[in-house]
Amino acid sequence: MTKVNNEQPTFVESRRTFLKGTAYTVAGASLATGVFKTIADTPANAEGKFTPTPETLSFYPPLEEWDSFTELDGNDWKRGGTGRNGVESEENPDGIKAIEYMLVPTACSNCEASCGLTAWVDLSTYKKGGQLAVRKYMGNPLHAGSRGRNCAKGYATQSQMYDPDRIPFPLKRAPGSKRGEGKWVRTTWDEAMATIGKKMHDTLKKGDEMSRKLIMYHVGRPNENGFGHRVPHSMGCDGYDSHTNICSAGAREGTIQWTNDDRNSPDWSNAKLIFLQSSHAADAGHYFQQAAGRIADARKKGAKLVVMDPRMSNSAGMADLWVPVWPGTETALYLYLANRILNEKGINGESLVNHNFVKNWVNWDRLMKDREYLSYLVERGYIKSLPKGDSYEDFITMIAEMYSPYTLDFVVKECRVEARIVEKLYDMFIDAGARVATYIWRAGPIGHKGGWMIARSAFLPFVLRGAMAGDVGGVGLHHWHVISVNGKGDAATEAGKRPPRVDVWNEIAWPPEYPLSTYEMSHIMPHLLLDDEWRNKWNAKGLNVPDRLAVWIPRMYNPVWINPDGFRWIEALKREDKIELPFNLSPTWSETNWYCDYILPVGLAGERHDQHSEATQPSRWLSFRNPALRVALEKMGWKPKDPTRATLEAHIKAGLGEIWEEVEFWANIMVHHVDPDGSLGVRKYWASKEDPSRAVTIPEWYQAAFDKLPNLRKEAKKRYPNSKYPNYEMMRDMGTWLEEDHIYKPQERPLKKVGDKYIAHGHEYDASEVEKDEFGVLLVDDHVFGGKKAIGVEIDGEIMQGFHTLSKKLEFYSEWFKEWKWPEYAIPIYPKNEKERREMTHVVTQVHHDFMKKDNEFALNTVFRLPYNIHTRSVNSKHLMEISQNHNPVWINAEDAKRLGIKRGDAIKVTITDTVSGLESGYFIAMAVPTEATMPGVLACSHHAGRWKLKNAVEIPGFEHKLGVMGLGAPLYEMTMDGKVGTLKPKQGLDEGMQARRDTWQFKEFNKDLDNIWWDGLSGSWQNAVAPSHPDPIAGNHAWHQKVSIEKAGQGDKIGDIYVNYENNMKVYQAWRDKLTRPLNANDKLRRPVHMKRPAVPLTLKAYTVNLKG
Amino acid sequence: MNEMKQDIDNRIALYALISRLMMLEVDNAFLEKIEADANLLALFPNYRDWSKRKEMSRKDLIEQYYNVDFANLFLMHLVPYESFYTRDDQMVESGGDNPVIELYNTLDFRVELESARVVSADHIGVELEFMYMLCDAQKKALEADDKEGVCELLQVQYAFLREHLLEWAPMFLINAKKESRTPLYHDGSELTLEFLLSDFEYVNEKLNTHCVTESTEA
Repeated sequence: MTKVNNEQPTFVESRRTFLKGTAYTVAGASLATGVFKTIADTPANAEGKFTPTPETLSFYPPLEEWDSFTELDGNDWKRGGTGRNGVESEENPDGIKAIEYMLVPTACSNCEASCGLTAWVDLSTYKKGGQLAVRKYMGNPLHAGSRGRNCAKGYATQSQMYDPDRIPFPLKRAPGSKRGEGKWVRTTWDEAMATIGKKMHDTLKKGDEMSRKLIMYHVGRPNENGFGHRVPHSMGCDGYDSHTNICSAGAREGTIQWTNDDRNSPDWSNAKLIFLQSSHAADAGHYFQQAAGRIADARKKGAKLVVMDPRMSNSAGMADLWVPVWPGTETALYLYLANRILNEKGINGESLVNHNFVKNWVNWDRLMKDREYLSYLVERGYIKSLPKGDSYEDFITMIAEMYSPYTLDFVVKECRVEARIVEKLYDMFIDAGARVATYIWRAGPIGHKGGWMIARSAFLPFVLRGAMAGDVGGVGLHHWHVISVNGKGDAATEAGKRPPRVDVWNEIAWPPEYPLSTYEMSHIMPHLLLDDEWRNKWNAKGLNVPDRLAVWIPRMYNPVWINPDGFRWIEALKREDKIELPFNLSPTWSETNWYCDYILPVGLAGERHDQHSEATQPSRWLSFRNPALRVALEKMGWKPKDPTRATLEAHIKAGLGEIWEEVEFWANIMVHHVDPDGSLGVRKYWASKEDPSRAVTIPEWYQAAFDKLPNLRKEAKKRYPNSKYPNYEMMRDMGTWLEEDHIYKPQERPLKKVGDKYIAHGHEYDASEVEKDEFGVLLVDDHVFGGKKAIGVEIDGEIMQGFHTLSKKLEFYSEWFKEWKWPEYAIPIYPKNEKERREMTHVVTQVHHDFMKKDNEFALNTVFRLPYNIHTRSVNSKHLMEISQNHNPVWINAEDAKRLGIKRGDAIKVTITDTVSGLESGYFIAMAVPTEATMPGVLACSHHAGRWKLKNAVEIPGFEHKLGVMGLGAPLYEMTMDGKVGTLKPKQGLDEGMQARRDTWQFKEFNKDLDNIWWDGLSGSWQNAVAPSHPDPIAGNHAWHQKVSIEKAGQGDKIGDIYVNYENNMKVYQAWRDKLTRPLNANDKLRRPVHMKRPAVPLTLKAYTVNLKG
Repeated sequence: MNEMKQDIDNRIALYALISRLMMLEVDNAFLEKIEADANLLALFPNYRDWSKRKEMSRKDLIEQYYNVDFANLFLMHLVPYESFYTRDDQMVESGGDNPVIELYNTLDFRVELESARVVSADHIGVELEFMYMLCDAQKKALEADDKEGVCELLQVQYAFLREHLLEWAPMFLINAKKESRTPLYHDGSELTLEFLLSDFEYVNEKLNTHCVTESTEA
């Protein structure tokens, strides 16, 4: 018999005798580690209120204890806990320390999601004579969106607050020095307000049209709802530049065409399929943490997750299906889904189109009536012949034919995706019915020329399946789910009402080449200011284009670094004749600050007031940001000398520094400096109604602003019956509010009618004034812009509110888009071959594989976020910088790397070439990491790392300490620029720079570990500067992705080097403008469609009107 | 009882040796002690005969071999904690709900996690050192001819081995032996496993011989 197993486990076979006949000479005690102590002191019993191990992880102090909650000290606990030592008291001095905290609610400001936070203000130390400080930031369990949870960035708020390189007081460029020299003097808020306010006053005083265009408020991610808009609005200025054109313009454009809302809002929790295009939502961007939690909830209930992304992100890595497609070709895939939905049947032979929804809620009726446009579609070859009739069935037959060319074969070639993946995606999409949730925002739509068409087409399969009905588990719209009252405290002001519409149009924000942009063209602001030829051309046609800005105010924004073509920004900022007075309201140092005249330090998440709300779920919640130290001081009885400057005074008292906030700053500068005598008509919008001699206060402003919310108002009155400012006090104490929950299908709500009056958007319309058109839309006179506007729609005999569009339905056919010169793209469409791609270049990405001719040419995917770094807001957090280390390699597919002989860690030269102009922009040197996690032919390098500074620290005359500059996150570089070519070369790692001042003078107690900075931050490059600005000709977004060629770096090249031909970059921008746009001309009577959102400053018809010569 | 007096020093030495080996990285002094005692060295036969020991300095061996192996076995790839092996969810329970910690507490033993550099008191090194502490206490009881105390301590040892160490340590040690890349940890894992099994038999036998009471017989 064969022995199957003759091996005995050795531990049985070789049993040894350990004790008999042996005597070890070593004493056990000399060998043992000795980790046991048998000391068993009698502990003083722990007080009942301290639970060493909370019953659940979600334990949180109840709201009624927030003003005084005592917690055991986490550090002291290491001595052995209360079980052994008891709690510290007079009788038990060796017990575990207990700390009394006040929990002040606020909201995170590190990304846009606005998750609730609570600042834990240490009262014990303060009461013993120490500093009043926030010891930690935790979640706010009352917050309906974030549900008490936060990501790494939320908790990092504390490290940002006590950043050793925090700017402690207002700084002013040293008199006699040039911008960028890095010479600074200390100044005061009062001096800054006086100088800046006078400049603004003198500018506005002229009172002419041009004076209303010369002040520009340039806001990065606002993290508030509407206050910033009010700043230029109240001055009668068209002077607001947002950052949407480097962020989300593509998605907004495509979404507006369907819905006239600029973004969608999914119901993740109840979806059966989570369909993500990009790593957004689940692992990095809008609205990470809240979205990720909801997605996790859905998956727990069985939902599937699909991630479409050329890069295997964290989300893609844990998805049920990863769909890597060639960047910019996503449109083809969406139209392929539409084709199958329209032309195939379900397993039971049923139609896959949700006819009930499409028939009622899509504007097919208008398309089918427009025979002229249908003929145009025939002419273009989109359809073979005119449809027989104009019925719904004719429409479905027509589009079934129109999308039939988007076959599996086509999509496999166009998207370079495997057939089996696309087929699986389709099956999953169909299986989920109408419960498919998506959030189309970043990635494709912002990365490409024609990126907006990706968003436009993405919604088509969702519409056909009924997933865009705003119903449970599907996709709704942003404005249904958001609250915007931060700029609506008008009732607290002397004027008592909103400022009037503004009469001027600012071409620096809204140039005539981009009448449909979403929104301001801020990423080409320096290009516009420096382009005399362009300005002269339009002035000759009758416009009045500014040749400079008198005051430019970036707010918490760093456009020099984050925008493309950074050297052009520096060039513009160095020109004191072009930007006369730039000042940044900024909590941190930044590359932009370096070229400003003033840096005015404003507060972080727990140091300011904002009302902030985001559409993260089908409800309407808000966060209220609070300055924690101010609130704590006031609750303990402290009173500011000047109640209009309480936040500033509180921060000085608490030793945080001369840190202020925008709300109080703007109210004060407007009342006392911009318009001190009221002659400009500005003052009354900022002076207090209670006491017009002073600015409005925080309680006054927010009492009025929150009064716009009926449920909040009611509850506040109940809870604070004796308060003068109940709304403000309730929000101060809770930090969040849920105004409305479970908002589904609001388009189906009946249009409100009381007696003979219809009520829409807060206005009353007498029934006799209301007309109904042939498509069932209820129209009233538009008193602002003339003509008619829609207020409701009849569906199956009922009058409903409808969508936000002109037709009150989802617009498959965008009539206004056709009228505004783009008829070929007025429906979702995509070219089907190379010839068509050349003809329809506006919707074809600049990094299409058509352009990749050589072995070393790639598409560079730049727009993905790192989950712990948000654009330019993380450089002040040691915690966040440590986990990112400014590390930003270039991902390259392993096969591509092998072919080119590139190994992990190799320095490579990445050269950017524009595919519209053929011009080369320069290169950056970066570290290559071969990986299977990016698709062949596509490189990935996030544009969120590669910070730099030109000095480690600056000396302030008369101040004993040097002020460190971004010591935790930016290495030291050397810069050259000559008007044509700019270079940057790394000089020293941040570890060395920081070691030199690790014994920080500022916030020493919070920065004991500066000696363990071990990363040098030298593995990222400032690729943004190499990238030319190339605006999409319609949406206006900078198309972020780049065509690049790569080679191994030369001997003299170092990772971090960049070389930029920014003279060429200007030409690239001009080529995109001149070859691709369809500017306003003499036939145009308006600057922009009046129905299309222009979010910040409301304008009159006069401002919209244009009369161009020849 | 006399026989136990002769054995107890060896048991103390062995528990001290293996607990130290499993708890922290080895150092020069520790290896020196093993190598200076031929009987102890005999428990590490492969280590004793390993050629690299003659070729390289002890410092280099520690840095280039032993520490690497230790990190692999105790920090990175294996999980040397009882709760990982015994809980359904495989979570390391470092708080008061850990029955091992409860037991230490009942007996007034406290583990200093910081000097042990472990995250929970049910680490294999700590549990072995607990056995060492029990043996040390037993020695004192033997010296004082406190039969009741000796039996009580044997009972505790028996229960701790049966309910804790032997419930999981064999699985860990077999894995460790298999995963080890140096003779030191290979032999050390084998030695620990064998010794635990034999010591359990030993304790059991002594209890049956010296500590049988009517109630336990019943």
